[in-house]
Amino acid sequence: MKYKVFIGIFIVELLLLIGILLFSYISINTRIDEMKYLRQLCQGLTATDLAIWTEARYTRHPSQTDIFSAFQDCPSCLEHFPAGSVLSPPPHFRRPLEAVK
Amino acid sequence: MRRHLMILEFALSCLCRRKYKNLALLFAFSLLVFILSSILLLTYALKKEAIEILQGAPEITVQRTVAGRHELIPVEYINKIKTIPGVGKVEPRYWGYYYDPFIGANYTLLGANRDMLRKIEILEGKSFFSEQKGVCIVGKGVAKAYFAEVGDRITIIGADGISYTFKIAGIFKTASDILTNDLIILSNDDIKRLFQIPTGFATDIVVEVYNPEEIETVAEKIKKLFPSTRPITREEILRTYESLFDWRSGMILTMFIAAVVAFVILAWDKATGLSAEERREIGILKAIGWESSDIMELKFWEGFVLSSLSFFTGLIGGYMHVFFFGAPLLSTALKGWSVVFPTLKLTPYVSAYQILVLLFLTVVPYMASTIVPSWKAAMTEPDQVMRG
Amino acid sequence: MILHPGIIALLGGTSLVTVMVLYSSYEGFKIIRYWDRESSSARQLSLERKTYLLSSMIAFVLAINLLSLFLFIYTVDDIHTQFVGAMCATGTLNANTIGWWALLLKVTIFFVSSIWILINYIDQRTENLPLVRKKYASLILFLPLFILDVYFEIKFFLGLSPDVITSCCGALFSENSRGIASTLAGLPIRPMKYTFFATVAAYFLTGFLSYRYTKIWLIYLTAFLAILFFFISIVSLISFISLYFYEIPTHHCPFDILQKEYHYVGYPLYITLLGATVFGLFPGFAELMKAEGVPLMHWQRRWLLTALLLLIVFFLIVLYPMIFSSFTLEGYD
Repeated sequence: MKYKVFIGIFIVELLLLIGILLFSYISINTRIDEMKYLRQLCQGLTATDLAIWTEARYTRHPSQTDIFSAFQDCPSCLEHFPAGSVLSPPPHFRRPLEAVK
Repeated sequence: MRRHLMILEFALSCLCRRKYKNLALLFAFSLLVFILSSILLLTYALKKEAIEILQGAPEITVQRTVAGRHELIPVEYINKIKTIPGVGKVEPRYWGYYYDPFIGANYTLLGANRDMLRKIEILEGKSFFSEQKGVCIVGKGVAKAYFAEVGDRITIIGADGISYTFKIAGIFKTASDILTNDLIILSNDDIKRLFQIPTGFATDIVVEVYNPEEIETVAEKIKKLFPSTRPITREEILRTYESLFDWRSGMILTMFIAAVVAFVILAWDKATGLSAEERREIGILKAIGWESSDIMELKFWEGFVLSSLSFFTGLIGGYMHVFFFGAPLLSTALKGWSVVFPTLKLTPYVSAYQILVLLFLTVVPYMASTIVPSWKAAMTEPDQVMRG
Repeated sequence: MILHPGIIALLGGTSLVTVMVLYSSYEGFKIIRYWDRESSSARQLSLERKTYLLSSMIAFVLAINLLSLFLFIYTVDDIHTQFVGAMCATGTLNANTIGWWALLLKVTIFFVSSIWILINYIDQRTENLPLVRKKYASLILFLPLFILDVYFEIKFFLGLSPDVITSCCGALFSENSRGIASTLAGLPIRPMKYTFFATVAAYFLTGFLSYRYTKIWLIYLTAFLAILFFFISIVSLISFISLYFYEIPTHHCPFDILQKEYHYVGYPLYITLLGATVFGLFPGFAELMKAEGVPLMHWQRRWLLTALLLLIVFFLIVLYPMIFSSFTLEGYD
């Protein structure tokens, strides 16, 4: 019977998914200590940002950028860093004009 | 119950009869779920990680801006900031970027002004005292770029054109890559010498505030004291990271909407373009007494089998891709021009919410696209098709 | 703001649903206009065929709507961190005047579409499709709701701008501030408890009696009590039930129970609440249709039984923390 095979595969995949969720749950708990270390390290370094995109100032330190951040290297110069095109502009930049006033 | 199972059985036989067509569909669908789930899981995990770690960020960072740009801040501001009630330690920070012309990578140079690092067991090698000169601690990415190990020396060209060499005292362990990958930690004096920072100035100032409730008011007071500064609170940093990754994943998802649409069109086309053989099959079924609603159920089961299997496969694949293998397929796209890019060893944060979102982005459009075709199939008239 | 993955999924889902409802209304209009049971013209035949398509579309719409209700709450909850002062979904909903309306509309649409499905179910199982015209007329009647839903959703999410200071649930559902929500939270607990238990008991009893004796007036009464039960339960949830789950005497938020910290207890709670209400409403609505000569006693009893079972589960979930947790509200009554 094919439906038994299908239901079998279905259940196996479902169990795998549940297993994955359980794995997540467990590894989140096991990494609590590591996270604590990282938080301490962050404090020790007085780090404000994650070291993910190192190509430009505003991608390395998104939280530290100044008001002109999206086009900060010269007035009206075009965005040319790849990460800059997918990185969000800082919140104050995206607020509607009325809100700023 | 038995009836439904039999229809399911029949649906499976139908799928098997057109093995390659359906396998292609299954593959395309799984791939789509795989890509979308990788994006969602990766950005969500990054966001969670950022928010977990950056809880340790300084309460307030004070930066001076001149003409809208970040400028060096006079160290004497510290004395005045210290007088604000509720403020703890106030320290100058010396840091900056360094472009290494030999390797073509950007590093972040940071002065160690606290001996805090000594307590942290996340180093290979050892730390140094903050007044010690000529030594450094580097992130894994920097060490890799230089092919350096503990005890080796690295060369940095200062603002005065002179090469300075530093002995690597320690390397941050891989676990902290996401925070330290591109860092070179030097003593404050070394940084000042390298960057030729004039005496009496610092890059910015970090302010400790005892009571988290008071951070906002302290920031306001600093802003009033020194109108040309920009105090950045920890809350702001966390919020920035929150929206940063939502934006990022939303952006990539929007780009992939085209892929979803393409897939829906494919599914629609596959479902509509009934071959003469299929049409005859349905005609015969109806002739032997199947009702239109039975045929619709048959079609529903076909869709269910395809979408459930692909959804599970894609999701499990995406999960393994991101959390077991460090998202190699995505990181090339995420990387941009960053030469020093951390290995992503993320905590697998997954929530039911993401699965729901994924369901909405993939299975829902697919199911929607099969409604009309399966209705069309169900309305086939037996006499018409059998007559040819 | 609009680029949050959850928001994209929601907007995509509801737009899809609206397109379907629009199309169904268009076809429904044709059905109202040209439906003629006696005729055997090609048009009538194609209309009859269309009804299959439309009913499966609306079933799909209902399923998506239920999912999107939860997705909406979840998304709103997920983005609360981007607003200063917002501590849960309530904060986000407050960030914008439309938030609460959008939520309310979603709940309404859920009820409306489930009742539509019910009418359709009865209709399709009756020999000569007596309800066809009414069915599609009501669909056209409901169309504005769906369009409004998309409109509200877009307006709400586009109108959100991070960093706007919103009042969080601590402020909204605390006794001192004014407004409907806080009035609900400020309701005295002891009378509220009595009202809640009395309503549940009355609903259960009438439901059971109508299941046992299937008297028409009892069935109508059950439907009426179902609506009452729904509102009383929501009010009680804000007023005192949530307190038992949070074990904090001042925390009245109805959304936090959906979170992991409270073991997602909100999901079974809300699903059984919605289910118990809908299935209690069904027999009454079906009774209204009975005038058309539809035999439906058998279904009515089945729905009543479902409603009763869901009600019991709902009640047990509510009761559980009251009995088994060490938290008491005695001092706060």
